[in-house]
Amino acid sequence: MSDKGIGARILRKEDHRHLHGRANFTADIAMPNMLNLAFVRSGIAHGRLVRVTKPADAADRVFAFDDLVGVKTLRAVSKLPTYKLADYPCLATGKVKFVGEPIAACLADSRAEAEDLAARVAVEIDPLPPVMDMVASRAPGTAIVHEDWSDNIALTIQIPSDIDEVVRTAPVKVSGEYKMSRHAMVPMEGRAVLAYWDDRQDQLVVYSATQVPHLNRAGISDILDIEQRQVRVIAPDVGGGFGLKALVFPEEIVACWLALRTRRPVRWIEDRVEHLIADANCREHHYRISAYADRTGKILALEGEVTVDAGAYSVYPFTNGLEAAMAIGNLPGPYHVPAYRGKAYTVTTNKPPLAPYRGVARPGVAFAIEQTIDAIARAVGRDPFDVRLENLVPAAAMPYTSVAKKTFDSGDYPEALRRVARMLDLPGLRERQKRREPDGRLIGVGFGCYTEQTAHGTSVFASWGIQLVPGFEQATVRLTPDGGLEVRVGVQSHGQGMETTIAQVASTTLGIDPARVNVVHGDTGLTPFSTGTYASRSIVMAGGATSRACKVLATRLVRIGAHLMQCEAKDVQVKDGKVVGPRASVEFSEIGRVWYMRPDELPPDVDMGGLECTVGYRPDPDYGTFAYASHGAVVAVDPDTGVVEVLDYVICEDCGTMVNPMVVEGQAFGGAVQGIGTALYEESPYDDQGQPLHSTFADYTLPGATEAPMIRIDHMISPSPHTEYGIKGTGEGGNIPTSGLLANAVNDALRSLGAEVHETPITPRRVLEAIARARKAAA
Amino acid sequence: MKQVTMTVNGRSVTQLVEPRTSLADFVREQLRFTGTHLGCEHGVCGACTVLIDGEPQRSCITYAVSCDSAQVTTIEGFDDDALMADMRTAFHENHALQCGYCTPGMLVTARDIVRRLPDADEKRVRLELSGNLCRCTGYVGIVRAILSVLAKRKAA
Repeated sequence: MSDKGIGARILRKEDHRHLHGRANFTADIAMPNMLNLAFVRSGIAHGRLVRVTKPADAADRVFAFDDLVGVKTLRAVSKLPTYKLADYPCLATGKVKFVGEPIAACLADSRAEAEDLAARVAVEIDPLPPVMDMVASRAPGTAIVHEDWSDNIALTIQIPSDIDEVVRTAPVKVSGEYKMSRHAMVPMEGRAVLAYWDDRQDQLVVYSATQVPHLNRAGISDILDIEQRQVRVIAPDVGGGFGLKALVFPEEIVACWLALRTRRPVRWIEDRVEHLIADANCREHHYRISAYADRTGKILALEGEVTVDAGAYSVYPFTNGLEAAMAIGNLPGPYHVPAYRGKAYTVTTNKPPLAPYRGVARPGVAFAIEQTIDAIARAVGRDPFDVRLENLVPAAAMPYTSVAKKTFDSGDYPEALRRVARMLDLPGLRERQKRREPDGRLIGVGFGCYTEQTAHGTSVFASWGIQLVPGFEQATVRLTPDGGLEVRVGVQSHGQGMETTIAQVASTTLGIDPARVNVVHGDTGLTPFSTGTYASRSIVMAGGATSRACKVLATRLVRIGAHLMQCEAKDVQVKDGKVVGPRASVEFSEIGRVWYMRPDELPPDVDMGGLECTVGYRPDPDYGTFAYASHGAVVAVDPDTGVVEVLDYVICEDCGTMVNPMVVEGQAFGGAVQGIGTALYEESPYDDQGQPLHSTFADYTLPGATEAPMIRIDHMISPSPHTEYGIKGTGEGGNIPTSGLLANAVNDALRSLGAEVHETPITPRRVLEAIARARKAAA
Repeated sequence: MKQVTMTVNGRSVTQLVEPRTSLADFVREQLRFTGTHLGCEHGVCGACTVLIDGEPQRSCITYAVSCDSAQVTTIEGFDDDALMADMRTAFHENHALQCGYCTPGMLVTARDIVRRLPDADEKRVRLELSGNLCRCTGYVGIVRAILSVLAKRKAA
């Protein structure tokens, strides 16, 4: 059966229910006597909350901050120096700090009636000047979001280094300012929760659209001050997450508290307007970069200042500081940078909280650093491809410890870039650019390279000192009496296909057909503890734990099998779903039958743990294994309309050993198209009073099928030296380089006009403004 | 409350509904056909696409009361449909779904593209998909799946 194990392009076990409309998302669950929840939200970005007036006839179904007796605020802690707490109250108190902040909770039999009730709650707010610009609001004298702070800076991180000599002597210096705009994460299913009290289990049962059920349980227990044994979180089918669902939010806590209070099932289903204006946003980064190079474009030193607009509150548990910490730690990218100095500010504003989104900070980093590489190439008059190639960390240098103290474990970064250039036919494209296009459009080529530290472990998270520090991942495996296998893991699969890929890992280790493996995940009542699915960690960690547990199970199968075959255990092995001896073999089903039904046939010294075991796993070292890729694209820019079309997009990726290449490709394609969204379309803009200018899919544009190219992909395989089977993570990487390389491609296209765009999304308006600026400068 | 009678997935149903209730809420909450998903509730994302009298429609911006005497088919109503069976197989084989949330609406639209436009090329397929958003797949597998069913039907 090993042809269905690790490396096999088998089709997904989870598809059938989705294709037949029989999946089970949180909103699909209805319970007798269920109440629906709707929120009254702030319409003002910054102001004093003077009064909340409940309708007299429904005061017992409306709840404001003062009603939430025993509910703590969401406090995200960090031990990073200078970090200030920005507690997120479950309902607003004192001041409102962004448009959309929940103020009151309203219960009714249906969502429509709950919204009717919410509309009848009167809220009085005295407006204050909103803090909207993260760079300007770093300065003293501006309005302050958190009154007990002296300024709006939530966290400052410095990487000090003496680069003054290089700064003075380097023959080439380029400087640039790069802005990645705030946007929303937009899983197709919004957040959702259904909570009820189960007297028989003495438990609050919480169905939740979450990536991190165990973490959710810990958060609910902590904030509501009930024991963890009294909380069970079940993530049923979850319709995408992308980081958003790796957090604990006020709405979920309020729903749980109301279920405790009313002793009735309470359901809250986020709608799209709530998601766009009131949910955590992502990405808003501002960079000032200077790079110093020799005359061939070889980097001598890098200097960067990052500012992250973290919004009003610090998200639980990852904090508002993770973005900036990751940004400043990853700024040198996959390049050999001999000297580096960096500073990162996290700034609080009157916008929704910022949270880590697929790629976490690195798409912003790549946006800045990839444009910096192209700027160096322009300054030295060489093709960006050549300058990029010469600055990448070479294969011979592996393992390589970067100036920012990241250890890249394996791979051939330049080869990935060379393959991408070949797939695009770079020389042919350069000729095509000289010929010009018959339709008057301008053609540009862009490249982007990245590393993705995946499955960061204990040492990395402990250094940040946040609530959650992942440790040993555990898997429970159990042979069923008829020779099937159950695998229980505490992560959650919401599109990544882990019901299939974890079964493939078990298949490789035990030779069992994946069709005979059930992967149980996403339920604190059924699985061992895990911090959950985030940081491209699940197949490395839960896959690794599954492998280790299957290996322990195999020793027990061998012992029983050898006894049944009356031979020595040392002469027996597990193969093709059987225990095979010198002269005979025993099916797993026979071993299952004997253990469960006919223990009188067992060997006298049998392991009493039986055919079930829980085994922990952590890679060694555990700082994370580095996946990497190069992406390249060709764009056409219409200089009259400013419209950018992606004509071609290619990927060469290396995530180590691929468990299922089909799934790897799906992650890469989906990630890249999300990257196209960040680069060209998606933005959550605000006016100067903090009012969101985006509230529907009509004014918030996602890439559709017409905006997405038919992406081509190539693979390299450099197994990690540190992980089980050499697996590296791959969930997030796909969108890391996209904004940077598309900016490079657009600016390559605009080069003959002298125009450059350095801000996402690269909309027609921004392209036309860049062209107009260039014309004005030339005049 | 108003009484409506319609045929949903081949069975006649008569129910009282509020005039403001959408067809999506009606089939999900009152009839418990929860395969119809809500992704935006303002008619853009297409997750709620169903057939009304054989044509794809967005059930989130269609009132249930406006469907009196209509034939409604949700994703649960295609079990005997050969074209949908082909489309499901093609989606499975081309990894055209990840989280599965957009999939029911995507399938209803995909089936309709093949039914109406047997000669559609990739560009046309993408244009026809512009009313259905997917956040996971980058559309690669979805477009390939639809093209494979078109090719299979042409070859037959």
